Amino acid sequence: MRSSKWGTLRSPVAYLFVAPALLIFLVFSIGPTVYTFALSLFKWNKFNPALSKFIGLENYKTVFTGTGNPSFFDTLGVSFYYVAGMVIGGTALGLLLAVLLARGGRALASARTMVFLPHVTPVVATSLVWVWIFNPQFGLANLVVHATGHHNIDFLGDSRWAMPAVLIYSLWHELGFVTVVFLGGLTTISTELAEAAKLDGANRWQEFWFVTFPQLRPVVTLVLLIESVASLQAFTQFFVMTKGGPGYATSTLGFQLYQQAFVFSNTGYAAALAVVLFVITAALSILQLRLQGDRPAKAPRPSTFSRTTRTASTRSQSSSL
Amino acid sequence: MKRHTVTALAAGAAIAALALTGCSGNSADSSSGSKGAPTLAAGKKVTITFAEAMASGALKTELEKVTQEFESKNPNITVELQAQPDYGTLKTKIDAAVTAGTPPTIAQVYGDWAAAYAQSEVLEPLTDYAAADPSATDGLYKGIKNSLYIDKTLYMWPFNASALVTFYNPDLLKAAGVEAPKTWDDFATVAKAVSKDGVVALPIDPGSSSGPAGGTTIFELMAQANGTPVFKDDGTPQFDSPDVVKALQTLVDLKKAGAVQTGTNYPGETALGAQKGVFDISTSTSFYYDQQAVGGKFQLAVAPVPAAADGTRINQINGTNVTMFNKASDDQKAAAWKYMQFLTEAETQSEWAQATGYLPVNPKTLDLPDMKDYIAKNPYVTFASEDLANSSATPPYAWVEEASGDLAAALQSALAGNASPADALKDAQAKAAAAQKAAQ
Amino acid sequence: MTRRRIRRGRGILIAVAMIVGLAFLAPLLWVVITSLATRGDVYRFPPAFWPDWQWSNYSAAWSAAPWLRYFANTVFIGACTVALVLATSVLAGFAFARMRFAGRNALFITVLCVMMVPQTVLIIPNYVIASRLHLLDTYWIQILPFGASVFGIFLLRQFFISIPTEIFDAAQLDGAGPLRMAFQIAGPLARPSLILVGLNTFMGSWNAFVWPYIMTTTDSIRPIEVGLNAFYGVNGTDWTTLSAAVVFTTIPIVILFLFLQKYFVTGLYSTSGAVR
Repeated sequence: MRSSKWGTLRSPVAYLFVAPALLIFLVFSIGPTVYTFALSLFKWNKFNPALSKFIGLENYKTVFTGTGNPSFFDTLGVSFYYVAGMVIGGTALGLLLAVLLARGGRALASARTMVFLPHVTPVVATSLVWVWIFNPQFGLANLVVHATGHHNIDFLGDSRWAMPAVLIYSLWHELGFVTVVFLGGLTTISTELAEAAKLDGANRWQEFWFVTFPQLRPVVTLVLLIESVASLQAFTQFFVMTKGGPGYATSTLGFQLYQQAFVFSNTGYAAALAVVLFVITAALSILQLRLQGDRPAKAPRPSTFSRTTRTASTRSQSSSL
Repeated sequence: MKRHTVTALAAGAAIAALALTGCSGNSADSSSGSKGAPTLAAGKKVTITFAEAMASGALKTELEKVTQEFESKNPNITVELQAQPDYGTLKTKIDAAVTAGTPPTIAQVYGDWAAAYAQSEVLEPLTDYAAADPSATDGLYKGIKNSLYIDKTLYMWPFNASALVTFYNPDLLKAAGVEAPKTWDDFATVAKAVSKDGVVALPIDPGSSSGPAGGTTIFELMAQANGTPVFKDDGTPQFDSPDVVKALQTLVDLKKAGAVQTGTNYPGETALGAQKGVFDISTSTSFYYDQQAVGGKFQLAVAPVPAAADGTRINQINGTNVTMFNKASDDQKAAAWKYMQFLTEAETQSEWAQATGYLPVNPKTLDLPDMKDYIAKNPYVTFASEDLANSSATPPYAWVEEASGDLAAALQSALAGNASPADALKDAQAKAAAAQKAAQ
Repeated sequence: MTRRRIRRGRGILIAVAMIVGLAFLAPLLWVVITSLATRGDVYRFPPAFWPDWQWSNYSAAWSAAPWLRYFANTVFIGACTVALVLATSVLAGFAFARMRFAGRNALFITVLCVMMVPQTVLIIPNYVIASRLHLLDTYWIQILPFGASVFGIFLLRQFFISIPTEIFDAAQLDGAGPLRMAFQIAGPLARPSLILVGLNTFMGSWNAFVWPYIMTTTDSIRPIEVGLNAFYGVNGTDWTTLSAAVVFTTIPIVILFLFLQKYFVTGLYSTSGAVR
């Protein structure tokens, strides 16, 4: 229907309407982003800015030659370890949980609530819960370790176990979110294809892998991207549980920004790191926006459909041989 | 349209950035003290702020008491105490205040913090202030006096000092048939002997890259006892020297033998209290906390920290000094100096030491009669003070904090078995040397 | 499949689901148990699983820090932020959806670009700027930067686009100006979206840590999670008292969630829906 006057109202008032939001963004987001670029070009003295020295791209040289303390490449490696763990673990486990909890009924509904509950809890509070669980002498986690016949592990103090420990916590906190997104995706799956596959003799696994999963792919990709961006920024749990330690074993890029700027007072270098983080995040976000703007996936054509079921039935035939 | 917007934004922000740089920095010559220290007119009312970390227990009550005494002697001066829960928070708070251009008048600081502030020219040099009474400076213990200077300028004044002592459970020692160790070699033997049946000789907190902890200090003492301190007097790190590696190897061996355990948040104190630990080697200020943890379950005993193999006493001055920021008004500076001096007077130090477990920074305190009574009841004060007289603090240089974090990280890594002591220390030395180079 | 097989299959499914659910709840149950333990006894291994019912831990924790103040701060900051976000989101969302002005697309893209900048990146420059403008250590610096939300603008714009134009035509015939259109006509229709945005914002405000931690240093204006972190710094060895503090600072948001579950979840469903 052709839009009436309202859809095309020209009014200077519009500028007033967008002004508050834009002003806030300008002052607290856009302006500071540009300012970060500026800061990164200085050896910035935050106690006495008048003593700051313009050093051009020196900070970036330090970053990319890995001569910072810790080296940028170590930090990147730590970040990659964390992001990979969250993205792969989160997506796989989230998908599994979604499939598990997708049916109706009170029991499953309450299970869904229980899985989602950790996600709404504050990170500081629950990080502390897990610090106690990981306590080297009295923690629950060591109960499990003992049961497998090993000595107590100082999870958060051992550079081999610190990141896995933080990952376990982060997954516990994040899985509820991922699961619900997948549950939402599952509700949009047409059941006809699944039923047709079942009629053709496909078992649960085949039904999932050849019918359900392909339709979920856009959601999976979306989750991968959202989780990547979110985990690149993770900070609070690192601050509360390990403070980037032991050594720099859990010092991700996000945490390094804080440590360099506010603990070591290398504000200019920290700003350079911030710019790098911004570029990485922007690239991922652009990907995410592109994906959400895409047209919806086309409904599978009949030929695809029969190909799928034929695959399913041939597999079930071959397995019975 | 879009490109113009972006360009305009960029230009605007750049201009703003330069403006913020230029118009609000401290100029280098904003400090007074051109011709001697400022004096306070009699009766003139002034308020000063003191950022400190005496936030709990006896420390808090005693500082408030001492401050009140000062205020009653100087009714025109008000001292506003700004207590922070711990030293990490204290540093964050001071940093934030200095960055915002509104520092406190005076603050409790470690030498390396002060070095960074001095480099940024936000501290008030105290040379002229102290010149009025040279005996006050000369009368201090040598180690403490040296810790007050940064680049040969006097920037700090003493406040609290402590040295390490060994708290221990005498019952557990007796049960194992051993006595309190006199040297570090003794300690290794004794520690292995008492560590059995779920009891650990020495739980320590190795610290982390974010900062050293009690365990780091113990390690530093052992290295020094072997012959090489981890920092030279000019702050140069010597982490990979053979004596330091040997000390770390000793700790690693003790851990393997079950005599040393790692943990966080004062594990020695917790284990002593739970009667699962035998020794807690920490500063004399832990006395009250350890007593509380023990809670009368047994008679807490105190011994000097183990010595070097040839009997030389090795210890480290812990504690903080007070520094003055140059943004304060002349009146505030004069008032603050009076307060700082009051804190180090013999009578004040006597009261302070008795209540908190810190050691008197002023040697004259030990001659006061009430202090002598206190020492009779708490003999550890004597040998701890002797150690104080003959030790030094960590050199006050800006990179020392970061370097100490690297050392702590090496300690943590070696104790966890993730690296050999030699490798861990080599790595730490490289990082510390880089930090030193970057800061100079 | 026979009916019995179906029921057994479903029975197993339910059992597995409940075990998984309980596994997720376990840490929260554990902190409650620890909060009720006796101080000395908690340093025991293996740990005891039955609580000692030491409610005194709660009173000890409560009196050891200005929790009431922290709660009040958190609610105040949360409420102000929500009000500001709803106002700016409705206004901007309406303008982008229903009004035409030069540079509309460019400005909308600018808004989307803001989403790309991670908060951690912004902390450093904002800190330096705020310190020079003397905004550090205030309520403002905890509210204003969060007063506009890309998510909110996006959602409201989406909703306003979907409203049939007849409604606006009728209102215009009645002589309504743009402000009335936005707040009195379009706004109330967008209730589900507003609740979603408001809830999200409030939750984000409650859970805020990094920003207020860096930007403030005075207890009297700090929110609850920063207070909890400070409490941990002082009482790090006292796990029973600390657990009590963890419990009573988390319970409000848990209760809020349990009552308003469907609103929390709807937004996430719509995220995945947006892809299709």
